[in-house]
Amino acid sequence: MVQEPVVRIQGVSKKIGSKTLIDNLTLDIPPGQVYGFLGPNGSGKTTTIRMMVGLMSITQGDILIQGSSIKSDFERAVSHVGAIVENPEMYKFLTGYQNMVHYARMSPGITRERIMEAVERVGMQHRIHDKVKTYSLGMRQRLGVAQAILHRPKLLVLDEPTNGLDPQGIRELRDYLRILAKEEGTTVFVSSHLLSEMELMCDTVAVIQQGRLIDVKELNHGDAPADGQRETAFDVDHPAQALELIGAGRIEGSSLIVAVDRSAAAAINAKLVMAGISVYGIRVVTRSLEDQFLEMTGGGHIG
Amino acid sequence: MGDFLKLVQNENMKIYRRLRTWIMFAILVLLMMLFGVLFYMGSSSSPIGAWDAVDQLSFLYFLVSIFSVVVAADIVAAEFTWGTIKLLLVRPWTRTKILVSKLLAVLLFTLAMSAVYLLANMAVSFLLFPDIQSGVFPKGSGGPLGYIMEDLLYNYIDLLVITIFAFMVSTVFRTSGLAIGLSMFILFAGNIFTMLFHPTRYAWAKYMLFVNMDLGQYRGGQVGPAGMTLGFSAAVLTGYVLAFLLIAWFVFKKRDVAA
Repeated sequence: MVQEPVVRIQGVSKKIGSKTLIDNLTLDIPPGQVYGFLGPNGSGKTTTIRMMVGLMSITQGDILIQGSSIKSDFERAVSHVGAIVENPEMYKFLTGYQNMVHYARMSPGITRERIMEAVERVGMQHRIHDKVKTYSLGMRQRLGVAQAILHRPKLLVLDEPTNGLDPQGIRELRDYLRILAKEEGTTVFVSSHLLSEMELMCDTVAVIQQGRLIDVKELNHGDAPADGQRETAFDVDHPAQALELIGAGRIEGSSLIVAVDRSAAAAINAKLVMAGISVYGIRVVTRSLEDQFLEMTGGGHIG
Repeated sequence: MGDFLKLVQNENMKIYRRLRTWIMFAILVLLMMLFGVLFYMGSSSSPIGAWDAVDQLSFLYFLVSIFSVVVAADIVAAEFTWGTIKLLLVRPWTRTKILVSKLLAVLLFTLAMSAVYLLANMAVSFLLFPDIQSGVFPKGSGGPLGYIMEDLLYNYIDLLVITIFAFMVSTVFRTSGLAIGLSMFILFAGNIFTMLFHPTRYAWAKYMLFVNMDLGQYRGGQVGPAGMTLGFSAAVLTGYVLAFLLIAWFVFKKRDVAA
């Protein structure tokens, strides 16, 4: 991927008084991805996002969105952004549709048709003329997404979007974000402290702790290159015997674990079967993001 | 970038789509009718003319001041209370433009409310007291209408100052309650302050906001206490209003929006 990053966070720091909330953060976000921003509570995720969308001032450094500085060319930079920071906020005394109109008036060239298109995308067309005060949180979340994508932003920023959603709502949102990234090429930048969720949703995850970037990880959703060496577990009836036969790897419970590629895994299977060892299962061992995350952040202590 | 008037349109929508706003208009019109009828019943022995009724009913303009203050006190603070301020600030408009659009919407509201006040007042007065002859108003100087309009202008300026003060407090403290409270305090305690610190006794007192708010005191070229003139008071009021606006603008522009 040699495409120009959608967002460039360049040496950004945020200090309030003597407290440093964000310390010299540098991060490029490539286009067309669902990009996760992961960190324990109080690590500076929300602060970073607030600086990205102009809600907070930047003490040091700069953030470029599509090449425009959020500091010196705010209107142009933020015109590429759709954002929901924390809860989706609405005017409760207006209807959903009036809320959409309110939002649409703030961006150039949005037609009535476009509003209805966005509303239908999130499946809100049947309730759109009801007052927002009658909506559930899940419905407000959907309307929030409809607003945020109304002007077809290059970058969609979502801060803890699944907070308070039920499992079905989370799943819908997740699927929807992936579609948005794949079909419309929108870059989605999403923060969360829920690891399992990020694992399902994101292409890449940046991990932040105490205001510092500690790692950037690409996640593969089972469609990783087939020729890589991966830890593979063979579930067998006599692991010790299998280890002796193969001469490599280690034993965990009733499994023999070897780092091999796909063809070698098949060969080992054949060898085991030939030797009269029953193979009950073969699977690739993936360490969950949670394991990796806890490893990196040392248990995720606050502060 | 886009059309600035659409921002004002948004602010107007948020004012007039609220039931509260229509209750304010209804209270104004109903009280006007109520007091008109009371005057009508009380004037059976000594009849008054329509213009006299207009003048007498003009005390109800304080309602317009109060409602304007309520709207101004709410227009920024409410966005913070609702969390919707984030919605406004992450769109491609500078904070200055957002704030100016809100100020314009407030000013339009004060004009609309003043217009409704005037229409209701005239309608009630001329319907109940169709006898247009008036013994109270002096001849010349534009007649009764001119007098009423001049009076209204002074009252409107007074309203503007206090409304912009409420707008500032709302922006700085993000709580409408404080903005309404402080504005009402100025509105009603102004006379007490003027008595305590009268410009004839303290030289600095003539620069206080309170003593300059009533421009009606200079009507017909009169000179106020301690040599104050219409030009002087107008300049002092302008100074205060500019200061209120600058403070509101500066704070709104610099504030980090958290929570």
